[in-house]
Amino acid sequence: MGKYLYVFQINMQSVLQRRASLLMDRVGGIATTVALYFFWSSIFSGSQSILGYSPARMLSYVLMTNFLRAVVFTDRGWEVIRDISSGRISNYLLRPIRYAAYCFSMDAAQKTVGAAAAALEIGVLILCFKTPWYVPRQASTWLLFGLAAGMSSLIFFLLEFAVASIAFWTFESGGPLFCFDLTVQFAAGAFFPLDVLPKTFQNILQATPFPYIVFFPLNVYLERLPAGALLRQFSLQAAWLCVIGWIVSRVWRRGLRAYAAEGG
Amino acid sequence: MDALRRHYRVWLRLVRMSLSAQLSYGLGSFGFLAAKLIRLLFFFGYILAIFKHTKSVAGYSLDETVLFFLTFNLIDTVTMALFRSVYSARRVVEDGDLDYYLVQPCSPLFRMAACIVDFLDLATMLPVLALLATTWQRLPAGIGLVRVVLYAGLVLNGVAIALAMHIFVTAITVRTQELENTIRLYRDMLFLGKFPIDIYAAPLRWALTIVVPIGVITSFPVKALLGLLSPAWMLYALVLAAASLGASLWFWRGALAAYTSVSS
Repeated sequence: MGKYLYVFQINMQSVLQRRASLLMDRVGGIATTVALYFFWSSIFSGSQSILGYSPARMLSYVLMTNFLRAVVFTDRGWEVIRDISSGRISNYLLRPIRYAAYCFSMDAAQKTVGAAAAALEIGVLILCFKTPWYVPRQASTWLLFGLAAGMSSLIFFLLEFAVASIAFWTFESGGPLFCFDLTVQFAAGAFFPLDVLPKTFQNILQATPFPYIVFFPLNVYLERLPAGALLRQFSLQAAWLCVIGWIVSRVWRRGLRAYAAEGG
Repeated sequence: MDALRRHYRVWLRLVRMSLSAQLSYGLGSFGFLAAKLIRLLFFFGYILAIFKHTKSVAGYSLDETVLFFLTFNLIDTVTMALFRSVYSARRVVEDGDLDYYLVQPCSPLFRMAACIVDFLDLATMLPVLALLATTWQRLPAGIGLVRVVLYAGLVLNGVAIALAMHIFVTAITVRTQELENTIRLYRDMLFLGKFPIDIYAAPLRWALTIVVPIGVITSFPVKALLGLLSPAWMLYALVLAAASLGASLWFWRGALAAYTSVSS
């Protein structure tokens, strides 16, 4: 465990040292959030409630997606592809570490810095735009939101890891990963809440793990789920996490068997 | 004239090479193309779904809002298709290829900014044009030929400003060997142009018209088509395009003069 903590600390320093990259990363996140914020603000200028969302709930949803983007969508998959395609992964396979855990430690550092920056940005945006902000009524909601966000972060990390593993079999895995990253963001509700979609699409998406990546954690934060539904959704999120974890371990083992250390 | 013909011949040859390269990268190209189409269709679908719950956004109807979105996509896709090679500028500088460009009888800026045509973006343009044609038919009658010509002219004007921004990015890369952050910043800021600039608060709207002219690139053509843009703003757009192209070329020449053949 200690070695992964070191990886976490070193990468934290690395992320904080590359201040220009960090700043540009954050500016990008803010641009998307600001665009969606004003889009919804102008819709709510003529209405008090849409799909059961009050202005405070919808604008909080939009701002909180900035936080979840920082915590969830950290794009570690591209690094995995580079490691496999260049043969650099051989270097890690020979060491007494688990590559997935190593990647997750790296990712966790990036997520920690991103989460802190996103929280600060949300605070600034609330102050600048005088946003009607939804604050959870129960203190336990913060805890449950943290749990849901943590599991969603793991689900995305594992899914991306599985897609990036295609690099064991082909040098063309960048395209599928790019396609996957974009699809997940739309299907997870990172741009718009999923309940604006027609019921059929919602039902199709509910049969996938994607809504548990952004839409579900934000529903937890906005206290839109009754106790029974909350428990059921948490169970489903945990079940998806286990299933995806199992699939990733199978894919990874097969990938390692196919790996020829080309370029390494 | 001879120089123009020579550049055209070189461009045609390089275009054929780009096509061969993209065709030989089957799975990767398919993934990137699928991602672009998914992004377009998901966003389009979300806008349609949201308009089931509202009549207008900042006073614009569904068809008008869609027109803003599709015009944004048209300009973005044309820019990405034609100036894709800017995204390889850092590699060109780091690998020393720029030294070769400088001794060839061809403009080094042309080689760095326009020698790759992204056929995946050209393919993405087909659904954009199809949706644009469908939306066009649904617009209220009375849009005369003059407004259509103004729309087309301002779309080209938008592409010219986008080209100026790409030249700035290329010049910064030659000066600093740093590309990713600046191009990402441009791409992220461009997200703000997906919607009509009228949705934004006055200071931001001003900034998007004067400081970072995303609004001039993406919103002005549609506003001219709808008869909402005064002649003074149209003149401003033309002057801005000429000035930004002039400034970017001046900056590029400065970057080239300061180039020290860093990788050789």
